[in-house]
Amino acid sequence: MMKMNKFIALTLGLVVVAPLCASAQKAVQPIPDITGVWEAVRDTTAPAAGQAQLKPPYLKEKQALTQAVSEANSKGEPLSTTTQRCLGDGMPGMMGGPFPMEILQSKGQVTIIQEAYTQVRRIYLDKQQKSVDDVEPSFFGSSVGHWDAGALIADTIGVKQEVLYRNTPHSKDMRIREKIYFAANGFLRDEVTIEDPVVLEKPYTYTVSYRRLPDYQMLEYVCEDNRYYTDEQGKQRMHSDTPSR
Amino acid sequence: MLLRRLIRPVTLILGLVIAGSTQAHHSFAVYDSSRSVTVKGVVTKWQWTNPHAYLEIDSRDAAGAIQHFVLEGTSINIMIRGGWRSSMIKAGDQVTAVAAPSFNDERVGLLLEVTFANGDKRDMPIPAGYTFKRTP
Repeated sequence: MMKMNKFIALTLGLVVVAPLCASAQKAVQPIPDITGVWEAVRDTTAPAAGQAQLKPPYLKEKQALTQAVSEANSKGEPLSTTTQRCLGDGMPGMMGGPFPMEILQSKGQVTIIQEAYTQVRRIYLDKQQKSVDDVEPSFFGSSVGHWDAGALIADTIGVKQEVLYRNTPHSKDMRIREKIYFAANGFLRDEVTIEDPVVLEKPYTYTVSYRRLPDYQMLEYVCEDNRYYTDEQGKQRMHSDTPSR
Repeated sequence: MLLRRLIRPVTLILGLVIAGSTQAHHSFAVYDSSRSVTVKGVVTKWQWTNPHAYLEIDSRDAAGAIQHFVLEGTSINIMIRGGWRSSMIKAGDQVTAVAAPSFNDERVGLLLEVTFANGDKRDMPIPAGYTFKRTP
C-alpha cells in the first residue's frame, strides 16, 4: 500500500509539477531586444533553404513565367514587376535584403519597416488570427505573433495573390509562419515557412539571417521619379527611351 | 545572338542573391553588359531621386554636334551608403562617365562610374555591378 502511494505521489509529481516547472522556465525566459536596424547577410551556418514544390498546374504556371522572364531578359526587354512599378515586394519578400530594415518593439506590437519602398508590416502580439475570409487581401497580410522561449512566432495570412515571391504563385490560403530568433552565431534569423495546401505539395522553409547595424539611421525611400512604365505587352519601358526629355 | 549569349549569364548572376532577398527596382537586362561607353561632357541634370538617380550629360560627337545622354544610377539610399552625396555633382560640371549602353539607344545607359570635375573618380554601387564589362 505504501509502495502504491509512493508511486501515485511520484506520478502525480511528474504529471503536475514538471509541466509547471517547464512553464515557469518559459515564463522567465526574457523577451530578447530585437529593436534596431538590421541588414540581411549571407550566413553559411543557417539551415539550407528548402524549395517550393508546386502541384502540377501551378508548376506549369511557374515554369511558363520563369521562361517568359528569361526570354524577355535575353531580348533586353524585361517584364514588368511590382517593384519596377514602385509597389514594393510585400510578404515575405520584404524581409530580405539588400536594403536595411528596422524592427520596433512596442506594447502589444512588433513593427518592421523595410527601407526599400518604405514597406511596413505590423505583427500584433497575443491576438487571435482572423480567418482568411475575414481578411482583405493586402501586400503584407494580417500578422499576429507571440513570444515563445525567446523566439517571436509570427503567423501571416491574407497576402494578395498578385504579390509573388520568386515568381511562385500562391492561393488565398497561403500562410506564412515565421520564427524570429537569435542564432548561436549572434545573427538574428527569420525562419520562414510557407504553407499553401492548394498550390504546394508540402510546406517549405528558408532562413534569412541579419546582422545589426548599430549606428545606422534609416533613410527615407520615396519613389519620386519612376521613369519606368509597363507597356501594353507587360514589358518594362523607360520614359527616356528617346532622350529628349 | 552573340549578345544574347553574353547577357544570359548576367541575368543568372543577378539571380544569385541572398536567400529571401527583395527584388531590385527593375531588371538591368535592358543594358548591354558586354561593353561600355565613355561619355565626356557637361552635366545638364543631376537627379537625386529614388527609385534611381539620373545623370544627364550633353556631349559633343566627332562632328561637333551635341548628343544628349541619359544615364541611370541606382537607389540613392544605396549610393549614400556607398559614400555618394548629392553635392558631388551639379549642373554645368564637366564630367566623364562610363556607362553600359541600352540595347535600344546608345545615348541611354546604366551609369558605372563618374570622374568629377576635380579628377576624383567614383564607382556606382550597382548590385552585381562587376558583371558589367568596361571596354575601351
